[in-house]
Amino acid sequence: MNQLFDFDYMFRSFPEILRQAPVTLLISVGSMAIGLVIGLITALLKIYKIPVLSWIATFYVSFTRGTPLLVQIYLSYYGIPKILAFMNIGLNIGQVPSIVFIYVAYSLNVGAYLSESIRSAIQAIDKGQVEDAYSVGMSKVQSMFRIIIPQAVTIALPNFGNSFIGLMKDTSLAFIIGVVEIMAQAKIVGARSLRFFEVYINSAIIYWVICLIMERVLYWLEKKTRKHLET
Amino acid sequence: MIDIIDLHKAFKKNKVLKGVNLHVDPGEVVIIIGPSGSGKSTMLRCINYLERPNRGIIRVDDLKVDARNVHSKQIVALRNKTAMVFQHYNLFKNKTVVENVMEGLIVAQKMDKKLAYDTGVSYLEKVGLLDKLNEYPAKLSGGQKQRVGIARALALNPKVILFDEPTSALDPELVGEVLEVMKDVAKEGMTMIVVTHEISFAREVADHVYFMDDGIFVEDGKPSELINSPREERTRRFLSRVTLRVT
Repeated sequence: MNQLFDFDYMFRSFPEILRQAPVTLLISVGSMAIGLVIGLITALLKIYKIPVLSWIATFYVSFTRGTPLLVQIYLSYYGIPKILAFMNIGLNIGQVPSIVFIYVAYSLNVGAYLSESIRSAIQAIDKGQVEDAYSVGMSKVQSMFRIIIPQAVTIALPNFGNSFIGLMKDTSLAFIIGVVEIMAQAKIVGARSLRFFEVYINSAIIYWVICLIMERVLYWLEKKTRKHLET
Repeated sequence: MIDIIDLHKAFKKNKVLKGVNLHVDPGEVVIIIGPSGSGKSTMLRCINYLERPNRGIIRVDDLKVDARNVHSKQIVALRNKTAMVFQHYNLFKNKTVVENVMEGLIVAQKMDKKLAYDTGVSYLEKVGLLDKLNEYPAKLSGGQKQRVGIARALALNPKVILFDEPTSALDPELVGEVLEVMKDVAKEGMTMIVVTHEISFAREVADHVYFMDDGIFVEDGKPSELINSPREERTRRFLSRVTLRVT
């Protein structure tokens, strides 16, 4: 027990920490998916300068990027029950699992960053193709979803990758409201043995490996979506 | 069949079109020449409402659009009766050559996919691009891209095709192949309104030539009359400048 670094313990505790990796992945993928929808809507509101709604969108992006995620998690955790209570919704907030507040906070957080990536990507598509879509009789919505957005995705993909990897690592904050993901599990296991360094090495390795896999997937996706740009 | 009556268009305070009138009969090839900035392209773009005219009437076939009281359904209808070939091709970069031709047919005209594909192939054959069906536009030369543009316009089966300086962005050695295709289209009786700087093409193909300067048509006539013996001083000056450059 007095050795400086217990390799044996590190290996033994690894599976126990890895067991919570699905929670980390679930939060990441789920929040990313919701965040993409929020980001697209926010970007479109800003591009088309919809009155009132675009001001709200601007405020939302500014607020989210200007406050720490940690604060946002607390705001979600303590704020949502208050809002629901105020609205007198007959829902016992005590029964809502903590992970719901995490989804809310993370989706809104990543959505704000994604909206700026999406906005710049959409605005990077040349206007000529839009005019062309109109001239063959397509509507605004049709040209947006069939011509512009598919090309914007190609442009935005590297930024999406950055956001996603950032998001995945940010899930390590979820433990503060009691969601047991990789980080929380490492804390629990570490507290039992007091071998904190070993278990945190484990969690670092797991995060890193997930990131490596993500990078490969993104690289493959990028190659696939750039097919039309090859000369 | 196509009538444009007293068309006005201003960008902010800059008046670009100052009362343009144009009549085109079915099957006619009308060519519009004139100096840069005279309003030729703007006029063309008003015909399918890529630009919104401030005033004037546009009549294509049985559809009449009054700029002062225009409904969005009319704009869609207008666009369905017209097709456009752009200076910078504007092909959909995320679609293959044949998909570029099919897109308008499937999405706007609700054509069956199989039929749209066959239609696309037959028009691409017409412009000599049968071997490029599944290439993306990035792999094509400028001349090939513009031929796709023409095939796409033809496939829509429009009442009129609007050509907006279709050869101006091309390398000189690629201009010929595009003009050849346009000649074929004209021969088959398609109604065409062409904005161009190719005076020799105008002389050879046009039924009627208009000269535009400073937002109005200064004069018009048969190509032989207007190009060989223009009445107006402005037309003479312009023609001497462009033909000097050519010869």
